[in-house]
Amino acid sequence: MYRKQVRRRRAVLALLIVGSFVLLTITYGSGSNGLQRGVSTIFSPIQSVADGALKPARDMVNWFDQTFDARGRNSRLEDELQVARKAAVGADAALAENAQLRKLLGLDSSGAIPSGYEPVTARVIARSPTVWFSDVTIDAGSGDGVEVEDPVVNGDGLVGKVSAVTGGSAQVTLIADHSSAVSAKVVPLASQGLIRPNVGDPADLILDFIDSAKHIHKGQAVVTAGWRSGEIGSDFPPNIPIGEVTRASIVEQEASQQVHVRPYADLRDLDLVQVLTGGSRG
Amino acid sequence: MILTPKILARLVAIVLLGVVLQLSFFSRVALFHVSPDLLPVLVVCLGLLGGTMTGAVSGFAVGFLLDCLLIEPLGGASLVLLATGYLAGLFRERFEIHSPLVPPLLCMGLTVFAELGFGAVELMIGIDTSVSGLVVRDLLLKGVYAFLLGWPIYLGLRRVLRPALIDEQAVRRTRRPTVLGA
Repeated sequence: MYRKQVRRRRAVLALLIVGSFVLLTITYGSGSNGLQRGVSTIFSPIQSVADGALKPARDMVNWFDQTFDARGRNSRLEDELQVARKAAVGADAALAENAQLRKLLGLDSSGAIPSGYEPVTARVIARSPTVWFSDVTIDAGSGDGVEVEDPVVNGDGLVGKVSAVTGGSAQVTLIADHSSAVSAKVVPLASQGLIRPNVGDPADLILDFIDSAKHIHKGQAVVTAGWRSGEIGSDFPPNIPIGEVTRASIVEQEASQQVHVRPYADLRDLDLVQVLTGGSRG
Repeated sequence: MILTPKILARLVAIVLLGVVLQLSFFSRVALFHVSPDLLPVLVVCLGLLGGTMTGAVSGFAVGFLLDCLLIEPLGGASLVLLATGYLAGLFRERFEIHSPLVPPLLCMGLTVFAELGFGAVELMIGIDTSVSGLVVRDLLLKGVYAFLLGWPIYLGLRRVLRPALIDEQAVRRTRRPTVLGA
């Protein structure tokens, strides 16, 4: 009797392990499947309700975290403010020139949304719990016009892109995920490279494969390059702000052809985002 | 664990509630930039209360649901969490839980194990970017949060699943009857 029980247990365990490997093999790289779409459709409304109901409690816990963080940030922000004040004078002139150029080019006057894209506002309803994955689930899906590969932004800058879609929800792979790679350029230098994540630290991205002849400096802005060559092109439209250069030692630039970038968007604390649907990329 | 339809329904409700709470609350709060991970704690507690089979099956179910809701490749989280639940159940079947510190300590150790497991699955699938040293800090903090969450969750689950627990039944049987007026 006992042996039979042990054998049955082992069989169940073996079945679960083999089942996991089979599922992993079948579903890896295939996007969302029917089962996930079904489960997601059932759970999306529940998650939306839970998201709304738990927001006050989340805000309270996050308030403690932000209070600790704010102490350290205060002195750094004061330094940055001084630099920014000096830069603002020059920026005013540049803005006036920029507005004229935008008018000439017929681009959207706000400049926030690239022309030809239809923004769909969505709320983050779930987030991957492990340190290895950086993706979130949003409450907009194919029913709202969202498609795989659509870029996702928030008020601060680039967040990521849609990697799987169901009827009422979509998975957004953040730019801090290990599978992410965004072609980017440093402005005003226009040195191009590839933004890659530093897994485990969403506040530190790496601009890789840069031209070591053009030296990049701390504080310079990094935006999407949005290149296109014939039929192929980047998934991201050009000039979406990504972040600013935080570490750019000459040695590292010449030896590894990379600099460190802090994303403008706080990838740890995302709430409302915009999916840029439609539009011709690149 | 004595499985009846009522207990099974409670287990399903615990798994569903745990996953929804993780995704809507715990994953989206941060203390010192790290979010607590409730799911390994839940699976470890179920393994400690129900044994290897309960731990493994609930781990598989939690992982499967998590992958479905996050639209991740299915099977990765199931594999890691079923191993986590199985190890917790194995501990329960081999050793006595004498100290109240055992469940939180096991939650801490097995949460770190689960996080390393998720990393191993990533490595198996193919991770080709640099890994920050902050991952170690995140793992340790997740372990600390698991330690803090471990005891209340263990007590809560023991209360909810009490009618199904073999240990509790044995205690009830060996308890002396109260003689009134003696």
